[in-house]
Amino acid sequence: MEGFVATKLNEFEQGKISRRTLIEMLTLAVTTVHAAEAQTAAPAGVKAALINHISYTCPNFKQAGDWYSKVFNLDQVGLKETEVTLPFGKKGEQPYNVTAKDVPLTFLLCRTRDLNAPLPNGGGPRPKSTALINHVGYTVADFERNRVRDQLKAMGVANVRDGGLYSLHMTDPFGYDVQISGLANNALTDG
Amino acid sequence: MERFIADLVKRFETGNISRRDFCEGVALAATVYAAGGADANAQAPASGLRMLGVNHISYSCPDYRKARDFYSSVLGMEKLKDDGKARVNLAFGPAPGKGGSFIVARNVAANAPAPARSVVDHVCYTLPNWNDARVNAALKAKGQNPTGRSGSVNVFDPFNFQVQLASSEAENPFI
Repeated sequence: MEGFVATKLNEFEQGKISRRTLIEMLTLAVTTVHAAEAQTAAPAGVKAALINHISYTCPNFKQAGDWYSKVFNLDQVGLKETEVTLPFGKKGEQPYNVTAKDVPLTFLLCRTRDLNAPLPNGGGPRPKSTALINHVGYTVADFERNRVRDQLKAMGVANVRDGGLYSLHMTDPFGYDVQISGLANNALTDG
Repeated sequence: MERFIADLVKRFETGNISRRDFCEGVALAATVYAAGGADANAQAPASGLRMLGVNHISYSCPDYRKARDFYSSVLGMEKLKDDGKARVNLAFGPAPGKGGSFIVARNVAANAPAPARSVVDHVCYTLPNWNDARVNAALKAKGQNPTGRSGSVNVFDPFNFQVQLASSEAENPFI
């Protein structure tokens, strides 16, 4: 991206493009670069583009749904007898501009169900897993740790504590560890 | 966004910012835009946080190397910061810092806290350009046994953790 910007700036300084053209080209690049990258990177095999949803099973899905809705300002859709869906945005929004049409918003699926029941669609019994997702980290907008810490405590969120350089941890109503951060916490900075 | 770029150009022309600052400013704007738009990042809601997405999943297992090899081989995740002993970051989606997510695969800690009363029982990943035949063939070629329906399949990782793969039509919060 920076190389492209520098090239266009050179062309502008050399009089090859107008000021208006420079602004239009950079605006277009800023708002489409990620979609273009994702489209050209369409995989030949199986390659995860984004988390579609997290299936979260707990003793009281309504209580969980209400907590996550309150803390993260999430709407609830698709209420059923044993589950509720919390999309990470409004209908029609694109997650991070991953692609124009093909990747929906991530959502949290809060459920109360028997995990010993067979999987649907002929999947057979669910084997006992020896792995555990011991916490989930969420990215939130405008993350400033001190301000967010105060905000969470004011909402009555339990066990709010610092995590590493860039994040906070807290505990949901069922003792599940939830981490939050901004974009600064990522695969290149964590660990 | 156009006004922001125009302001940057003006500041560059008047010497208020350097060439480097200009280029970095445009690149940063692209990152912020991709992460939910400038408005999303500039305005926190009156109460609560504004969710942008899943940052990472902390995955604890008996042997992180088996998880690393599975998720990188079967789901095409990128191995980053592998310490060779106990943990690795497995990145996917947009670039790190620009909305990408990652799995932190790590060995079970000796002092792991007591488990919660709830559990993440599976994670579903969106695959773009979904094609039933292609997805099933690709998974079988990797030694997996996918089950499910059109647009959605399940496999199990080396530690029997359920992994769902789905298309945008099959798993969409608004459909």
